[in-house]
Amino acid sequence: MRKKILAAVGIGMAAALALSGCSGSSSGSDDGADIRVWLVGTDTPDEARDYLKTTFEAENPGSTLTIEEQAWTGLVDKLTTNLSGSDSPDVVEVGNTQAAAFTSAGAFLDLSDKYEELGGDDLLPGFVEAGSYDGSFYAAPYYSGARLVFYKKDLYAAAGLSVPTTLEEYVANGKALAAANPGVSGIYFPGQDWYNALPYIWEAGGDIAVKDGDSWKASLSSPESIAGLEMIQDVMTTASSAPKDGNETSPEVPFCAGEVAQLSAPSWVKWSILAPLDAEAPGCPDQESNLGVFALPGADGGAAKVFAGGSNIAVAAKSAHPELATAALEIMLSDEYQTILGKTGLVPAKVSLADTVGTDEVAQAIASAAANAKLTPASPKWADVEAAGVLQDFFVKIGQGGDVTELATEVDKKIDDILAG
Amino acid sequence: MTRKRLDSLLLGTAAVIVFVFSVFPVYWMINTSLQPNNQIRTVVPNFVPANFTLRNYETVLFDTTRSDFMPALGNSLMVTISTVAIALVFAFLASLAVTRFRFRSRKGFILAILIIQMIPAEAMIVSTYRVLDSWSLLNTIAGLTLVYVATVLPFTIWTLRGFVNGIPIDLEEAAMIDGCSRTGAFWKITFPLLAPGLVATGVFGFIQAWNEFLLALVVNSRPEMMTLPVWLRTFQVATGTTNWAAIMAGSTLMAIPVVIFFLVVQGRMTGGLVSGAVKG
Amino acid sequence: MSTHSPALEVAPGGADGSRQVAPVPPEPPRPVHRRRRSARMAPMVLLIPASLVLIVVIGYPLLQLVIMSFQEFGREQVFGKPAPFVGLDNYVRVLTDSQFWAVLGRSVAFAAVNVVVTMLIGTLIALLLTRLNKGFKLLVSVGLLLAWAMPALTAVIVWGWMFDTQYGVVNYVLGMITGQDLHGNSWLSNPLSFFLVATIIITWQSVPFVAFTIYAGLTQVPDEVLEAAQLDGANGPKRFFLVTFPYLRSIFLVVTVLQVIWDLRVFTQIYALQGIGGIREQTSTLGVYIYQTSLGTGDYGAGGAIAVIMVVIMMAISLYYVRQSIKDEEL
Repeated sequence: MRKKILAAVGIGMAAALALSGCSGSSSGSDDGADIRVWLVGTDTPDEARDYLKTTFEAENPGSTLTIEEQAWTGLVDKLTTNLSGSDSPDVVEVGNTQAAAFTSAGAFLDLSDKYEELGGDDLLPGFVEAGSYDGSFYAAPYYSGARLVFYKKDLYAAAGLSVPTTLEEYVANGKALAAANPGVSGIYFPGQDWYNALPYIWEAGGDIAVKDGDSWKASLSSPESIAGLEMIQDVMTTASSAPKDGNETSPEVPFCAGEVAQLSAPSWVKWSILAPLDAEAPGCPDQESNLGVFALPGADGGAAKVFAGGSNIAVAAKSAHPELATAALEIMLSDEYQTILGKTGLVPAKVSLADTVGTDEVAQAIASAAANAKLTPASPKWADVEAAGVLQDFFVKIGQGGDVTELATEVDKKIDDILAG
Repeated sequence: MTRKRLDSLLLGTAAVIVFVFSVFPVYWMINTSLQPNNQIRTVVPNFVPANFTLRNYETVLFDTTRSDFMPALGNSLMVTISTVAIALVFAFLASLAVTRFRFRSRKGFILAILIIQMIPAEAMIVSTYRVLDSWSLLNTIAGLTLVYVATVLPFTIWTLRGFVNGIPIDLEEAAMIDGCSRTGAFWKITFPLLAPGLVATGVFGFIQAWNEFLLALVVNSRPEMMTLPVWLRTFQVATGTTNWAAIMAGSTLMAIPVVIFFLVVQGRMTGGLVSGAVKG
Repeated sequence: MSTHSPALEVAPGGADGSRQVAPVPPEPPRPVHRRRRSARMAPMVLLIPASLVLIVVIGYPLLQLVIMSFQEFGREQVFGKPAPFVGLDNYVRVLTDSQFWAVLGRSVAFAAVNVVVTMLIGTLIALLLTRLNKGFKLLVSVGLLLAWAMPALTAVIVWGWMFDTQYGVVNYVLGMITGQDLHGNSWLSNPLSFFLVATIIITWQSVPFVAFTIYAGLTQVPDEVLEAAQLDGANGPKRFFLVTFPYLRSIFLVVTVLQVIWDLRVFTQIYALQGIGGIREQTSTLGVYIYQTSLGTGDYGAGGAIAVIMVVIMMAISLYYVRQSIKDEEL
């Protein structure tokens, strides 16, 4: 709380100083402030980076903007230390499930009064929730990624299957494909891949945790969740030959090796699969005509609720130039900038820009998946559940054929302990 | 005669087994770095590159979309060499103090050195960051060097102490009788005799500083101040394909300076000088 | 003040039965050095540079860590919120958590196995190095060095590939040898085989240090001592235990204590291996547990408490050594 007030006072003072003409640093002044923007990974395309830099420097003459690319590995450690120190970056990207840990700690500048300017209710609702804490808005949505199902058309044809319209059909197809092709995963489902397990639980009417007044309560052992978990166990044991304790990274490797018939993965995996042979990381481009894609179907038809990965973006509370930093953030949420992101296949932060992703098969699947995307519980402690690897362990045990009810009761207790923390 | 031949045959075999076991993972790293990224994990492993390519090295060295190798190499070299040099000098002095003198706080100091090594570094990252911040040493070579010296120092003192203990004090005293000052005796007699110990601990310090990741990640967060282990992780991305072949190429390049450093100093490790002196 | 020289204890003078081949114990330092005031100041001056660095870089954060372990210290406190003191709360919380005891037991067992295996193999390789000719010696040294120099993360990835469930060389080669289809055999999902793989990786990376250090120590043993022992008819193992070992006792103790500490603290290898496969709660060791508690879940208070408890436990384990050293005036 105190932090927030300090930050607010900081802005006020900066503005006052700018007005009185004795600004040491702040907004619009020509003293050449440098705004440091941390983007994570290579997801933001070069075109968007150039646009951000050029636009910012044109709108704020004398100031510069530097994009510092960070890696996802160790990001939370890096943000925890650097955002609390005196050499803080000004604008930072953070994974949507990591955001809550920082909003609740007072690491970000309160953007509540900028909410409407940044897009208001047009912003992706789940991501706004992830970036808010205690009624204040700290971290804006940046982009989202949708999960799609990739499949091999020839295997579908050989087994006489058609694209499923319900979750049940999808699972049945997976089992049929696995039975018809020994050694091949009908549905590739490594044990640690808990993001892909969520739709089964959500579609069965269950959830990881439900909000009970002010607190969150784990509910993996509710009858609905159990029904979903049993389906997951069925898929992992009968339709998947992926390692029961494996993780979800690099699914294109088994896919290209011909060991996978269906694969549920983030939309960008398409580019990994189809990467040309002379690319830095080649895939199997010969599969292009054989590669089908659809949005995971829900229990009653339509698109299933799937987990939406993605990023939020925020201004550091310790930023030396909060106004300039906010200006940079506004550019990143502008329609022009978000359209550039949309064109590369990322789901833009604004609902109204959803069609910028395109109109082909993949784009349509992305659009319908994104429309039904869901996030993990918006508890500030949620990131801790993830960091502790509780869910990975849980689904590995499910995959190994453990007793579902027993495991679910056990994991509920663990999650409750952390959320109550 | 036959006994001797059998012996050398056995020794040779043992040497080869040790070599193969040590080197196989290293070989696998190099083997991987010479193949396209999509062929590094196959059902029948490629024991030699099936499609030999130097592309991964090109990616690592010249791909402009990522941080450059050269500045990271420069940072790593500066930090590591300063760390080794400073740590060895400081540790040499300290180990002399605790082995060649008796004083009141001696045991306390040795105990402290031992206890410091027990503290898990993972628990101190936030505090360490703050210390550097308060000295304005974030994102500097000096700051990282300071932290590394402190990390390597207890080990180096601890180990050098064992080596100094192994050098008979008579040698120093003989030199002093010959007219050397005490300091002169240390530098002219003890220091050279310590060569094997200095090399062993120096190599250790070099490798520690060269490969350290977590502190470097957090403390030197600006891209231009990155060290090699942090740079290596830029090829590992959560969304999208991890370019493992490039990581292996980068790791191979990273190992080269360590090998060079070792080959330069390893002659000192044979200890011919020592036994000669002791015999003399 | 004892008249014993610290250097004395390394010499094998004290070991029974080896006296006939041991060199004459070096003389204790002459009192002449202690008469002068400058000589009395000398050790202090020699200690200043090292102490200064350690106090600034380790001492102060350590103090903070200890204070933190008595506070409610979460992410909010990192960002400046005042941290209330909660007495022994964090300690009580940690010590009453059954997971902590499971992790502790696992870490101690794991470290014990690793220390024994590493020391044994390291010593054997060091002895091997002394008997090899120049070419072989360089071959083995470079091999060891390459293993040592490999960045820990890269090493875990490569070993992870070799033990990979689907595409691993180990499954492939074992399959070839036994004629069974081991494709899909998971090495990491069973905690025991997880730790087998972890032991291989850690031993592989720590043996070079042990081998090099002991080898460097071995070169300090005067040749004529060994020759004399040989003339007396002592065979290989006997020569090692009666002649060489007493000479190297100091270095052996130093290296063993270091191995105990490092293997108890092991972090990177286990953490990275857990990302590849296996069940975290069945495979976490103290280092990983501290990281997850403090940086992972943001509970720095409890993380500090675990760190303090861990140091206390390590001190207890090394107490035997420390006591022994004090008794021998070696320390």
